[in-house]
Amino acid sequence: MDIQTLLSFEWGMMAPEFTILIVGILLSLLDLFGKDTWKKSLPWLAVGGVGVAIIFLLFQYGHGDISILGNTYVFDSFAFYFKLILLIATLLILLMVISRTVQQEVRDRGEYLYLLLAALLGGMMVASGGDLISLFVGLELLSLSSYIMVGLRKRDVRSSEGAMKYLINGSIATAFTLFGMSYVFGLTGSTKLVDIAREMSGSLGSGEPVAIIGFIIMFVGLAFKISTVPFHMWTPDVYEGAVTPVSAFLSVVSKSAGFIIIVRIFWGIFGNATFGGSDTLFATMIDFIAVLAFLTMFIGNLVALRQRNMKRLLAYSSIGHAGYILIPLVSLTPVSLENIWFYLLAYAFMTIGAFMVIYILEQQKQSEDISIFTGLYRESPALAIIMTIFLASLAGIPGTAGFIGKFNIFVGAVAADPAQYILAGTMAVMTVVSYIYYFNIMVQMYIRKPQLEGTTKIARLQSVPLILCVAGTIGLGVFPFIALNFFH
Amino acid sequence: MNGEFIAFLILSFTAILGGILMLNLKKVVHMLLSVVLTFVSLAGIYVLLSAEFVAVVQILIYSGAVTIILAFGIMLTKHTARDERTSNRLRAALVGVGVLVFFFTVYGAIDNLFFGPGAEGLHVENTQQIGERIFAHYVIPFELVSIVLLVALMGAIVLARKEGEENK
Repeated sequence: MDIQTLLSFEWGMMAPEFTILIVGILLSLLDLFGKDTWKKSLPWLAVGGVGVAIIFLLFQYGHGDISILGNTYVFDSFAFYFKLILLIATLLILLMVISRTVQQEVRDRGEYLYLLLAALLGGMMVASGGDLISLFVGLELLSLSSYIMVGLRKRDVRSSEGAMKYLINGSIATAFTLFGMSYVFGLTGSTKLVDIAREMSGSLGSGEPVAIIGFIIMFVGLAFKISTVPFHMWTPDVYEGAVTPVSAFLSVVSKSAGFIIIVRIFWGIFGNATFGGSDTLFATMIDFIAVLAFLTMFIGNLVALRQRNMKRLLAYSSIGHAGYILIPLVSLTPVSLENIWFYLLAYAFMTIGAFMVIYILEQQKQSEDISIFTGLYRESPALAIIMTIFLASLAGIPGTAGFIGKFNIFVGAVAADPAQYILAGTMAVMTVVSYIYYFNIMVQMYIRKPQLEGTTKIARLQSVPLILCVAGTIGLGVFPFIALNFFH
Repeated sequence: MNGEFIAFLILSFTAILGGILMLNLKKVVHMLLSVVLTFVSLAGIYVLLSAEFVAVVQILIYSGAVTIILAFGIMLTKHTARDERTSNRLRAALVGVGVLVFFFTVYGAIDNLFFGPGAEGLHVENTQQIGERIFAHYVIPFELVSIVLLVALMGAIVLARKEGEENK
């Protein structure tokens, strides 16, 4: 390959990735050599970098499909829309990091920032990978950065415990994923998704059982990332141990990246593979994923009922939400991808918002127990109302983004062929179950009396991510067609 | 049964033996040595597949670097540590059943697998081909791997540094 071929690619399409990479490296250098007075503005540099990346990405709206270096980097509409979610979520989380008022928690603030950016870069590569190798390396970059971020709260035993569990579980998951990929590679002789799909669309013949083994093993490995039951055991411990912004990051960005890679690989490869002459291989494996989705919704929501630690509660609720997002994956309709995208976007706003409220209260009351919400309405009506909005959205009350997301998924599940009535029914029942624990928090906020007299103030910086999340949650709930039209 | 097949049988047997020994030996240093057995046997299998470069890298990195790092890790910590485990018969039985089920599933899947004629000319300039693939075709993931390495390095420093030292 000579230099002219190399230069003939549209490297400009990688501008968002390059921006994140450059800002990340710049941050680490400034953190190392810069003066102490500069270091306070480092987080703003990170915010600026992500902002510039979003602008670069928005300029690519409607651009045709691009492939660089034999599909190791692809740009298509799928990559565009999902990268947007990753970038917006990371921006909100960075704003959350900046708003911190208590300084003792994590001393190494600089590291924290470029680890976040490195993880984001990994997630973006996952969205843009057209080759198993790029997808895998991107996922590993995301995972490795996450392991370290969880362990950053070094004085806390729970943080070390969470990091250790995350590392071991994550490594096992990686091994599974890679093992499954090796089967697919062995069967088709290529790591390029397009080539694999083409090889598989012909008759697999005696290779069919191997393809199924590869499918299951790979899905099990990736199911760790999106924490579906029974591969969810690490989630509550890790969310509890990590600093709250990192928990939010894992809950939103890491999980979205998991769904992105699943959609990319499983729809891309197995959606075309013929099985037994008539159905696609993916269609025959739908029951496998449907069982996982059922278990995830069921166990995630039921166990959440028993939680008193707010971060553990949100961890179990996020497991439940992962179950909902698996439904459009198995109820194949033309709008499935749109439903996944919309739900992930809504999920990003409401989850980060809820974590932000917990973060504010946690810093003031030095506790993560549900009692931090006791009598919040008397202490700070604004914060109580904001939290109510996020809870309503998480529970799926009309007028919020969560409702539209759930409604679309429900309709999609019923309209699909074959219709997934059991999954749709489970979703409806589990939504009602989730009302119990979400409304329990509201009871704490509005009906109980505060334990200590005093008011909880929202600092100006803290209000920025809150306002953005409220705007996103309500905006997508009232005008969902803006986002949905944007998607087409 | 030709020589290649016999060599494969011996090498794969020692590779599996190393893995089983690692799980069952009590002393950490013995575990380390059994892992080395696995690594070296795998290198032998790579040679059989005419992937000499990968074999040499396997010996250099795994049998060399990784083993030495593990040895240092053992030396600097409690190197007399013994693995005290409580035997749980039920769990052992369940794991055994799982392993057997997996074995028969995979065996059933690959029993009738037909791949067509094997690839020819694998040994022709394969190191050069690997280099060309990595530094031209796969340059984006390759560069990304360097970021992974950077993150791992920074993480090791951040996590290993003692609290309070940064206030100097």
